[in-house]
Amino acid sequence: MIKIEKSNFGTFIQNLSADYSLFAPVGEGQQSAFREVKNAEQINTHIQITQNSPKTVFLPQTEVLFEFSGDDIQSEEKPAKPMFFWGVRSCDAKSLNLLDKVMGQSKQRPDDPAFQDPYWKARFDDAIILTLACNEPASTCFCNWTGGSPFSKDAGDLWAVETETAYLVEPLSEKGEAFVKGLSGYDTASEKDKQSIAKLKKQAESYLQPAVDAETLKEKLPQTWEDPLWDEVSAKCVNCSACAFICPTCYCFDIQDEGKKDKGKRIRTWDCCMFPIFTKEASGHNPRSLARERVRQRVMHKFRYFWEIYGESLCTGCGRCVRVCPVNLDIREVAKQLLEADSAA
Amino acid sequence: MVKALREEVKRLFEEKKVDLVIGWGKGSLPMTATPIFINKAEDAERLIWDETCSNNLAVYLTKDKRQLVKTDQKIGIVVKGCDGRSLVLYAVENQIQRENLVIIGVPCAGVIDKKKVLKHIEGKEVLSASFEADRMTVEGRGFKTEIAKCDVLSDSCLNCNHPNAPVFDVFIGEPRKSDSVEDVYPDVEAFEKLDSEARWKTMVEAYSKCIRCYACRNVCPSCYCTECFVDQNDPQWIGKSPEITDTLIFHLGRNLHVAGRCVECGACERACPADIDLLKLNRKISKEILERFNFTAGLDINEKPALASFCENEKQDFIMG
Repeated sequence: MIKIEKSNFGTFIQNLSADYSLFAPVGEGQQSAFREVKNAEQINTHIQITQNSPKTVFLPQTEVLFEFSGDDIQSEEKPAKPMFFWGVRSCDAKSLNLLDKVMGQSKQRPDDPAFQDPYWKARFDDAIILTLACNEPASTCFCNWTGGSPFSKDAGDLWAVETETAYLVEPLSEKGEAFVKGLSGYDTASEKDKQSIAKLKKQAESYLQPAVDAETLKEKLPQTWEDPLWDEVSAKCVNCSACAFICPTCYCFDIQDEGKKDKGKRIRTWDCCMFPIFTKEASGHNPRSLARERVRQRVMHKFRYFWEIYGESLCTGCGRCVRVCPVNLDIREVAKQLLEADSAA
Repeated sequence: MVKALREEVKRLFEEKKVDLVIGWGKGSLPMTATPIFINKAEDAERLIWDETCSNNLAVYLTKDKRQLVKTDQKIGIVVKGCDGRSLVLYAVENQIQRENLVIIGVPCAGVIDKKKVLKHIEGKEVLSASFEADRMTVEGRGFKTEIAKCDVLSDSCLNCNHPNAPVFDVFIGEPRKSDSVEDVYPDVEAFEKLDSEARWKTMVEAYSKCIRCYACRNVCPSCYCTECFVDQNDPQWIGKSPEITDTLIFHLGRNLHVAGRCVECGACERACPADIDLLKLNRKISKEILERFNFTAGLDINEKPALASFCENEKQDFIMG
């Protein structure tokens, strides 16, 4: 584990930005997001968790898949420099791994590139993610529900802890190992540093609310399908997509052609299961015509379907949806209500 | 006040005057109330009424939420001044059966905009909040701040002349005396003074932040089309990506569709996860409508909307020059 003194942080960041497209939390008024930065002054190190998740860089809200003109098709070039993400929280680092399961890998046909998304892979495969331990989880955080923790080392290429005077960094993956090997002139973390990590970790964990076991919820969900509770929990939902668009793991998209008949671009743009049109069929029939069915879909996808296919929950407990929902539809409350429900199988 | 509200709602259930009551309950976060739907007398205890009750509940009577409103069902709804104006709009536009509604008015002194509170304390996390007559106290890890309530009231409340529902069946407490604000639209003057190029720049800058989540539209009581033009795909009227031209068509289209119908409740602005000043253009249009047609939406249940009626003595300067 190496130690980057805060007094050297500026130089460290400067050097990083020479070799990588460096992304870090940047404040923009009351908003915050991962943006490309050139120096340490641009980074806001006080942001507990960015309003917009790193997903917006790897799976942008809109991206051009290719441009066409007659029979000529032009696709975007691969980025020249690999990306380096500084300051990703463990929930968000895990989110990227979950997205990679869908976009980058294929469970059924792992060796078939036809089932891998080249746009995602061009960005994600070479990127280095530095997971920054969460010293002060927010009251909306619930990573402990879905197997995470503020100091989790489960995801990312590097792991770092911010102490009073320094950042302590250790590798988590091969990419991370190679990165740390390439650094020189930094001290190794001392015993005292390690003690302060243990202390910070204990404090951070004490800020979290008691966990609800997401696996128990997964077991329970199939029985709740027809439960009238869905009417109750979905009653106040206004079916906007604020929760999904700010979610670090929602990945549904639409593909559209924009332009004239023989000249234009094909774009991929986020879509959302909260919109009635998301499931409206050509016949006019909508299998999820009611808010109840759409809210149920979102909860089931996060806590059941994804688990059934990939073996874990698609929610990482970042709490963003809890914060932005205009009607305070709190996913944690929904989960608790479902667990308590006396649903017949 | 809250006690009186709960007792009234309990009475309405006991006398079988309502089957469902829409009101506000305590939310899961500080400074946050949440819409609740109650269908039995004992649940009246869950109702609250304070400066955090910012959602316009009228929205649940239309839209997709018509699933809540069955024919012949008697619905009670707790309303502030602006929510009450939405109900007047619905009555004028034949969206509700007035006789099936029990309108429960509450006197409103303005609701807070959480985003303004967070701005005030530079984004620190609020763990608890308490309210007094003219100020609020917010607390978090390592800080405790007192804020004047007028600094964090929703923009929609700052120059409001309609604190009580214009039409109601029961009123909890005394209707609040209006402040009789003379200049209702001081906030749009700066925008009006800009030349067209600067106005365009301001708008492009503001709306570039839009992520097209449609939270503004979906919480808006005046936006109740069964299918919004932006959701239609046969034909598709606008692009789905947050490209600025399409985004502006959505927002400006919405502004025009609610022209003379917007009750300026500010729900759109408070709901926006991208912090866009969404109310400004709506208020600019409302000001226009007031000046041209001497009309304010949602006040008179017998008056036709400004843009759905014609009077010979209306200003016609857009035709005559």
